[in-house]
Amino acid sequence: MATTTAPHARAYPSGRTWVYEWLTTTDHKKIGVLYMTTAFSFFLLGGLMALGIRTELAVPGLQFIQPELYNQLFSMHAITMIFLFVMPMFVGLGNYIVPIQVGAADMAFPRINALSYWMIPMGGLLIMGAFLFGGSPIGWTMYAPLSVVEPARGVDMLLMGLVLLGTSSILGAINFMATIFKMRAPGMTLMRMPMFVWVTLVTSVLLLFSLPVLTSGLIMLFIDRNYGGGFFDPALGGNPVLWQHVFWFFGHPEVYILILPAFGIVSEIVPVFSRKPLFGYKAFVLATASIGALGFTVWAHHMFTTGAVFLPFFSFFTFLIAVPTGIKFFNWLATMWGGQLRFDTPLLYAVGFISLFLIGGLDGAFLAVVPFDFMVQDTYWVVSHIHYVLVAGSVFAIFAALYYWFPKITGGKLNERLGKVQFWLLFIGTNLAFFPQHLLGLDGMIRRIADYAPNAGWTELNFLSTIGAFMIAASILPFMWNVFITLRGPRDAGDDPWDANTLEWATTSPPPAYNFDALPPVRSERPLFDLKHGTVAAHPASVPAAAGQTHGELREDAPEERLGQPVEGHEDSSGETRGPGAEVSAQAPDATPAAGSDAADLPEAARQDAQKPRKPGEPE
Amino acid sequence: MTASSGVVQPHIEEEGPGGAAHGTTGIDTALLGMMLFIASEIMFFAGLFGVYFNVRAATPVWPPEGIDFIEPLPLTGIGTVLLVLSSLTIQWAIWRIRKGDRTGLVRGLAVTLLLGVAFLGIQMYEYFHFVTEYSFGIDSGTYGTLFYTLTGFHGAHVFGGLVGISVILLRALQKQFSARHHIAVEAVSAYWHFVDVVWIALFITIYILK
Amino acid sequence: MTKAVRLMEPKRLASLLAIALALAGCATESGSSIVGDDRPPGFLPGEVVTEQGQLTAGLYLPIFLIAVAVFLLIEGLLIFMAFRFRRRPTDGALPAQTHGHNLLEVGWTLIPAIIVAGLFVASMSVLFRVEARSESPAVTVDVIGFQWQWTFEYPDYTDASGEPVSLTGAGVEGPEMVLPVGETVRFRLHAQDVIHSFYVPQFFRKLDVIPGRVNQFDQVILQPGTYGGQCAEFCGLAHADMYFTVRAVERAEFDTWIAQAQEEANATPPPQPSGGVAPGEGATLAVSSISITEGFDPEVLEAPADTPITFELNNPDPAAPHNVAIRGGNPDGSDWIGEPIADPSSSATYQAPPQPAGTYEFYCSIHPNMVGTLNVGS
Repeated sequence: MATTTAPHARAYPSGRTWVYEWLTTTDHKKIGVLYMTTAFSFFLLGGLMALGIRTELAVPGLQFIQPELYNQLFSMHAITMIFLFVMPMFVGLGNYIVPIQVGAADMAFPRINALSYWMIPMGGLLIMGAFLFGGSPIGWTMYAPLSVVEPARGVDMLLMGLVLLGTSSILGAINFMATIFKMRAPGMTLMRMPMFVWVTLVTSVLLLFSLPVLTSGLIMLFIDRNYGGGFFDPALGGNPVLWQHVFWFFGHPEVYILILPAFGIVSEIVPVFSRKPLFGYKAFVLATASIGALGFTVWAHHMFTTGAVFLPFFSFFTFLIAVPTGIKFFNWLATMWGGQLRFDTPLLYAVGFISLFLIGGLDGAFLAVVPFDFMVQDTYWVVSHIHYVLVAGSVFAIFAALYYWFPKITGGKLNERLGKVQFWLLFIGTNLAFFPQHLLGLDGMIRRIADYAPNAGWTELNFLSTIGAFMIAASILPFMWNVFITLRGPRDAGDDPWDANTLEWATTSPPPAYNFDALPPVRSERPLFDLKHGTVAAHPASVPAAAGQTHGELREDAPEERLGQPVEGHEDSSGETRGPGAEVSAQAPDATPAAGSDAADLPEAARQDAQKPRKPGEPE
Repeated sequence: MTASSGVVQPHIEEEGPGGAAHGTTGIDTALLGMMLFIASEIMFFAGLFGVYFNVRAATPVWPPEGIDFIEPLPLTGIGTVLLVLSSLTIQWAIWRIRKGDRTGLVRGLAVTLLLGVAFLGIQMYEYFHFVTEYSFGIDSGTYGTLFYTLTGFHGAHVFGGLVGISVILLRALQKQFSARHHIAVEAVSAYWHFVDVVWIALFITIYILK
Repeated sequence: MTKAVRLMEPKRLASLLAIALALAGCATESGSSIVGDDRPPGFLPGEVVTEQGQLTAGLYLPIFLIAVAVFLLIEGLLIFMAFRFRRRPTDGALPAQTHGHNLLEVGWTLIPAIIVAGLFVASMSVLFRVEARSESPAVTVDVIGFQWQWTFEYPDYTDASGEPVSLTGAGVEGPEMVLPVGETVRFRLHAQDVIHSFYVPQFFRKLDVIPGRVNQFDQVILQPGTYGGQCAEFCGLAHADMYFTVRAVERAEFDTWIAQAQEEANATPPPQPSGGVAPGEGATLAVSSISITEGFDPEVLEAPADTPITFELNNPDPAAPHNVAIRGGNPDGSDWIGEPIADPSSSATYQAPPQPAGTYEFYCSIHPNMVGTLNVGS
């Protein structure tokens, strides 16, 4: 296996420029980086919009932004953050990490992967371009008939951009599912996959089933707007509430799409930094699957005040979702209990997530109470809930993931002190920005308004919320500085800087083009851990495990405890891929397999294969 | 690399019957991708069907007054028969190529293509007829919008399928397929069957059940 | 790295700060706030004045307490673990690698399930009572929402020609609906263009106003007072300005009020607003309100200074009502708003007070994006 020296050889053959390489790459790692940097740029744009909103709302009166622009801003802020930041960021992380975590050399369909990525900047351009045509002042929820009658052309650009982005996500979901089902390392059964892979799988199912419904809705809206269609116009026989049904049938699974990857990230980080396995792995898988399934049954809880839905059904299932979510919480806590917690920045963010997503989740429980929803629907209570689950939830998890996997992606570990500065700024800012909004909503302050009455008693809390928003913005600065200096510094993090458990830490940082020279055997959900510490049941290891050991060194003191220890030179005649009898070569996926590699020679053969020059035009 | 016994090589796609990329067991990866894509397309139509049934349930008179020309016979019924036939012909083409019969493949695909084009032709004639004879367009109330959106998007999917069939027909003419390697044909035929099933559902819903 | 967690949980600081501010009261002006009660926002609902609203508000406290308990439990565990189980330099061996615990897992599945089941049952029982509609409400009000104003009609009280008493707001504060206390009022909601929402925070209730659908709900207002309301579903440009008020009074006072409203509705022609100027005196300006998007025609009007102005408004717009208003057009500096509003495809005449020389903006008070320039010359 590769040693800890980070490879710095050019990752592509000579004759290709850097620009051409990145424009045409089909390598999941580069595509993942492209996704993440694009997503982060849109995060900054969406953040600027948020600052505009909060600046205007800080005190009553219209100071800087008139309603016409304000309505465009809050609509576009949500669209940007949801479709151009959180979703592409999670897809980017998944793109980079999932193939490596399952032990594959790339995604199942690398070229479709590239297509999926490039649809993001294209769609983003269309959507941002809407600002040049009157924006899209209809809310990210685009309720008809307002969205039908709104004359601004920007709305049509938004619809087209969203169809493009939706297609990108659907293709991405297909790619992830095919990769996860078909390309796992030998020995990696479904119940041995890392939790991040599990949530990616469930999220992909949600994407596959919900996004096309959004697309159909967007098309219906486009037809009503531009071709005299009558889907949502009662005068023509249509029904505005239908839009809400179609939209929220997508919209609710969408919010689970935005949070399940976060759950997966937290479930990766907490075990590593507690030095304990994830408590209740099976329960976790079941909980994830149930949240995914139940997510399709609750959509009309966004429509309680329409008077047009069967309230008990949706209230019941909304309450029910609290149960698997609670199971996850308790599992994380139980993972930490009795562990050896190391509060590096990734764990800080993971614990910050747990502590604050709780608030967002409890808000949701309130909203499941239908008569209470009658009071706070469309008020700042909902805004508070949304931002707790999305900022304190998804954004915290994104930063946790960035700090955690940055060394794997770049070879350099982000600076801890700057990380902690960012964390506390973001943590305090998030609470300051969004906690007061509970009180505002309970007091009757509605949402989506550019201005509010000066004698309503809402001024102080709005001002506090604006301060919080600026703190959140400020916290991005140490992060960007951190990335800058880390990328300029030495890339000496090594293969496994966190002493982690899963396969991505069993290769170099960054990994070679084909991800692995060779894979450890997979006998549990922690293959690298098993390799480092020998198999451990629910009792302490008999030998101390030093942190930072590379996977190359085995525990010689307890060999009899190691599961799956193959007998040297053993060949499994059935062709089953287990132990070193595996015949799979380390070449690119679509090359013909090396003929007749002898099992006993395998490590040598693999090394030689890996060093063979690539044929021109072969993907790396 | 240190003396690391107990390591296996990264999982690499191997060839198997029918296609290029094949895991150690189970469905071909490319075919799995096509199945998942078809699942997403089913959900797309589900959204449209959902709206159709909702509006229909809420409207006392359906089809609305004056719309009495949406009849299954003769034209649309013929179109339906043609489309169902085309599913049979493409399936026949699959059976032929599985046995290595390249000529049979080409013939089957060509006939499928022709039947598909005929179906689209009938659809377009129907549209023309409705618009000119009855002034029935996409803006003729919710019923009109639903009719044209549902059948129109189905037609678009037929067109997409025909593009796919043309591509594999061209490839078949260049002898690119064999008994062991014809996964693209399998994938396109799966898509074509899906298009046909959606049409049957549409035909029954709009033309027969009303 | 344990220094970080020795600080007090910052979110607690934020919460305390918020409580402090909320409880300290805020520098509100005297007089009732435009929406909600006069108390500053807090962790508990404000003053709820209807029977149905109080049922719901009563549900809040137990749920809040459960939420607080869960919150304290989980945060407490987190803080405890952050200290108790943080890695120490002396840690050598791996900790016990526990994978699961059946009893614990069953417990933390069942107990939350029981809690949410209880919450569901409690909330459904309240919902049933809140949604209940009376066989014969005492007063029915038809609420008509349109961009960006409200009309309230009393179908039980008509004028001589059989038309219901109707009030339409003009300006941001909208119309005021008067209702009797202690009796069931039925609200019927009608939308004319896009979705709006009828929301009175002190009723602890809102219901959407949807085109093609008539939503209805009943309320029994328990105490007299004036309660502010606002449109709560984003409806376009002036969504933030769609306020209204509900004034609840004793039955006798309501009877007097409604009788007077019927009288006023009978009077023909409809009374002209203040100005005391006979039509025809002073300058007469003709203007058309074409549509919400196209605005006025002409967009520039001229009038002599210090002379009463008569606006003859032609509203050819078939889709929306309009009027004429002048920013700062009243002697006290407030906006002068022409009433009554001209219905779609109709016209109206307004008497505006004399204006000193200068340039003014005239606009439609329902659609504030419709603007024009009024040049008042010397």
